[in-house]
This record gives sequence, C-alpha cells and structure tokens, in this order.
Amino acid sequence: MQRRKVKKISGDIVLYLVLGVIFIITVFPVFYSFMGSFKSNMELLTNGNKIIPSIFVVDNYKQAWELANFQKYTSNSLFLSFFIVVGTIITSTIAGYVFERGHFRGKNLIFAMVISSMFVSLGSLTLYPQLMIAKVFGINTSLWGVIIIRVMGMNVTNLFVTRSYIRTLSTEIDESAKVDGCTFFRIYTSIIFPLLKPLIATLAILEFRFAWNDYLMPMVFTLSNPDRMPLVVGIMNLKGSGAAASSWNLMLAGTSIAIIPMIIVYMIFNRYFIQGLTAGAVKG
Amino acid sequence: MKITKKELKGSSHKIKWIKKDSTQAVLMLTPMLIGFILFTYVPILYILRYALYESNGFKESFVGLENFVRVFTRDTSYWSSLLNTIILTFGKLAVEIPLALLLAVLLNKGRKGTGFFRVTLFLPTVISAAIAGLIFSLMFASFNGTVNGLLQSAGFIERPISWFSYKGTALFVIGFASVWNNFGINMIFFLMALQSVPKELYECSDLDGVNPIQRFFKITLPMIGPTFQVVLLNAIVGSLKMADLILSTTNGQPGGRTEVVMTYVFKYFFGYDGRQIEVGYASSMALVTAVILAMISFVYMRSSSKLGKSY
Repeated sequence: MQRRKVKKISGDIVLYLVLGVIFIITVFPVFYSFMGSFKSNMELLTNGNKIIPSIFVVDNYKQAWELANFQKYTSNSLFLSFFIVVGTIITSTIAGYVFERGHFRGKNLIFAMVISSMFVSLGSLTLYPQLMIAKVFGINTSLWGVIIIRVMGMNVTNLFVTRSYIRTLSTEIDESAKVDGCTFFRIYTSIIFPLLKPLIATLAILEFRFAWNDYLMPMVFTLSNPDRMPLVVGIMNLKGSGAAASSWNLMLAGTSIAIIPMIIVYMIFNRYFIQGLTAGAVKG
Repeated sequence: MKITKKELKGSSHKIKWIKKDSTQAVLMLTPMLIGFILFTYVPILYILRYALYESNGFKESFVGLENFVRVFTRDTSYWSSLLNTIILTFGKLAVEIPLALLLAVLLNKGRKGTGFFRVTLFLPTVISAAIAGLIFSLMFASFNGTVNGLLQSAGFIERPISWFSYKGTALFVIGFASVWNNFGINMIFFLMALQSVPKELYECSDLDGVNPIQRFFKITLPMIGPTFQVVLLNAIVGSLKMADLILSTTNGQPGGRTEVVMTYVFKYFFGYDGRQIEVGYASSMALVTAVILAMISFVYMRSSSKLGKSY
C-alpha cells in the first residue's frame, strides 16, 4: 500500500513537471511579445533579450494607433470579421438545411460536387484566379471581395456540421408546420434557424477566429489599397517595408492589438471553440 | 398511416405543394451555388487553361506543354521547395503528434488543474500563423533575440547563433513555431477520443496486472485509432499547405533555400518579392503541386486504413 502511494505521488510530480514545462514554452512567446510591445525601439534592437522592459513605453500603442494606421487596420478587421461571421452563419445554415430537408432534382449530384471540392487541395494556389474573377465584378480592391468569396464559397466543414445537426432535429415540427401552410423558406426562418442557436455560437466563434487571423487572401485583395488592410496584413506589411528595423515597437504593439481581442474572446467562449473545432474535424 | 391519409387528400394538390417547396429550396441554394462555382471550380479551370500559356498578366501566348517541361527538367528550385515542404511537414509532425498525444494522456488522468492546462495549452492555436511567425522571428533574432540571450546566459553557447542564416536552423525555427501554433488542436482531438474509451477496459487490464506502457500500446492506441487516422490526415494536409508562417519568418531566405512549395508558386503568380509575374508557369506548377499533394494524401489513406479499423 505504502509503495503504491509513493509511486502515485512521484507519478504526479512527473505529470506536473511535464505540464509545467510545456505550459512555460506555450505561454512564453505571447508574454514576451506583449512585454516587448512596451519596449522602446532602441531597447528592442540592442537589448531585446531581456524579457521585462527597463522602461515601460506606453507611447508605442499611441504611435501605432495614430501614426501607423492601426486604428484603420483594427476597424477593417472588425468590419471583415463581422460580415464574414454573419454571412457565413446565414449561408452555412441555409445550405445545411436545403441539403438535409430539401427535395429537388439533382440534389445529390450538387452535394457530391460540393464535397468533392474538399479533395482538390490547392490551398493558396487558387488566390490568383480568384482575384482575377473578382476583378471582373470590380470587387478586387476591397474587403468585399474577401467577404463574398468566404461567405458564398460554401465551406464544406460548416456544411457538414450544420447538416448533421439539422438531421438530429425532429421532422415532426416542420411536418405540422407544413400542414399549417408554412412554406419551405418560412420553416427555415421561423423553426429551424431558432433551433440552431447552440450551433450558431460555435460557427460564429470558428469563423471569427478564421476571419480575424486570415492573412494571404486579405493581403492579396488590399495590395493596391493599404487603407483597407486588416490587422494581420497591416502588421506584416510593416515587417516587409524598408523601415522594418525601426518599427519593431510598432509591430509588437500591433501584434498585441491583434491577439489580445482574440485571446479574450477565446477565454470567454473556450467551450464553444473546442466544441466547434472538434465537431468540424470528426464529422467533416 | 399519416402518409396514406395525406395522399388520400388528393395527390395533385400534394404535387403542386412539393413543387413549390423544391423551387424555394433551389432558390435558397442558388446564390451559394453561384459563388461556389465561381470561386472554387472556375479557378481550377483557369489554372488548367493557363498552364498551357505563357502570360505576365497582360499578354499571353499559347506554349503547349512547355511550362511542364520547364517544371520537370529545368526548375530545380521548385523541387527543392517541395522537398522542404515534405521535410518540414514530417519533421514537425514527428514532434507535434507525439507531444499532443502525451499531453492528452496526461490531461486525461483528471488530476487537479487539468482544466487550467487544457485552456492555456490551447492558447497558441487561436493566434494567427502569420503573427506566430513574427513573434518567433523576434525571439530567434540573432543579436537581440531572447533565445540567444537565454542560451548565452545559461552558458550553452558563447556567441549568438544566427538562426536565420542557415537552412537547417531556419527550418528548425519554422518547425518549432508551427508545432507551437498547432499542437493544441491535436491535443484536444486526442483528449476527446481518450474520453470516449470505456473505463471498464482499463479496470480489466489492471486486474490482469498490465503495466502502463503495455496498456497504452495495447488498449489506448487501438481504441483511438480512427481519431488518430483523421487527426494525422488533417495535420499532414494542413502542414503541406503551410504558407503564412514562411512568409512571416524567413520569406524563403537565405537565397530561397527555405522556400516551401506554396510560397514558391505564390510568388510566381503575384510577382511578389521582386519576381516577375508568370501566371502561366505558376499555373502549371500549381497543377503539379495539386497532383503531388493528392497523391500523398491518397498514399496516406491507403497505408493508414488499418489504423482506422483497429477495433
């Protein structure tokens, strides 16, 4: 009995040791860059290996916000994320609903077509043609192009998740609504959509993370229009510019502006985050 | 019973009704379908066409298979970028997947503080890959980076290491950043799978006197096999498509030796980084890449099918 107890305690020590080390490695980069955002540029370039700044320069944030356009970048990020989140919720739930409950000729064929797009993994390689197509419609130099592509692009994972969620809802309610003369569209707006609330929270969180963090597509769409850059693109633009060495302080202040809202949202809604990500992978 | 009653009511009425519903269904789907075809299928057709052309975005001329000849015979940089992609993917997954699994097993023990660790270890996953790259390139900067500073003050190295000047160390930093950015999600997947393993199995094995290591390989691993297969597939495909992280750390430097396939082709499309725009050639590389990536996934699915059916 005694030996077993000792074994258990030493096991626990190893467990907390491993978790502790990984915890430090996990949190350190975030902490370091957050602390770095309070250093003067001089200190960053000469003495950046110290973790805590010798003098806290809050002015970095003011400079980034006012001089380096971060005010604009932030509002662009909010704009982009808002429309992508709202739009995707509408299109994903409609697509899930139509594919699950709708009946029309060619439904299975269209569904197969949508699903098969999952296997063509071109990733960022289709960005150029997408930009050219957007050019035809005159949306290639604004964030609307990104929003339309993301919202209308039929996200396969979201489609799977909403479809399987709607499958779990009983058909009896909409059967009886039908008898009462409810149309297919009315059933969606007044019965199905309200029932999807838990799923919508998850979708919203997922899409927010995606839209807020996205880099390549918004970059390509704002190449010629720097005023419309979202945060991540703005920060990277600063890094790519000739003045990179002299603007590390602004870049780090920008980084904090970009990641802190995300971290707060995550801390509040972490349950939905994890639910959403796992639902997407396991069912998709 | 219900159906027969309804049918008795008059089939012509019902058909009209269904017709109206299906029209509505089609109408509801149409906007998305247009967007989907326009931005998913048309780009593929576009690439298929331009692969046979030479084009700088304004002027174009038909060149047949010349672009493919160039990819396969003359462009060694493309193949080395593809090789880098594969090295990075498998190198980082060799760390990331076991790490995620280990953490999941530890968190699954349900000791005090598990919730805290589950939340904080997942934290990097919510940060943009581009930003992660930026943070890591500052941390590993040669003269003012904290990593060199820490290593120096601990006495491991005498002079600062210039991490981004050599291919090997640069790829190491990129891999490190990528593991940091992604292990959390895999950890959560494994944790979910572990929680669904019936407790009775462990109790039985305890009675039989099975040691923890045997228990892990004989019970836990087979039970989470299907999840393992999907998680690994997602991780492989995701890593092969890595682009943001490269652009924000080395951007292919030094001398294009840390370029991955996605960034390499991307730069030809957009003339990014002082390169000339070569849409036709980029399209043919995109096609070759898509085929190779599909082959890797296919081979993986084939060879891992045993994993998926292990119980």
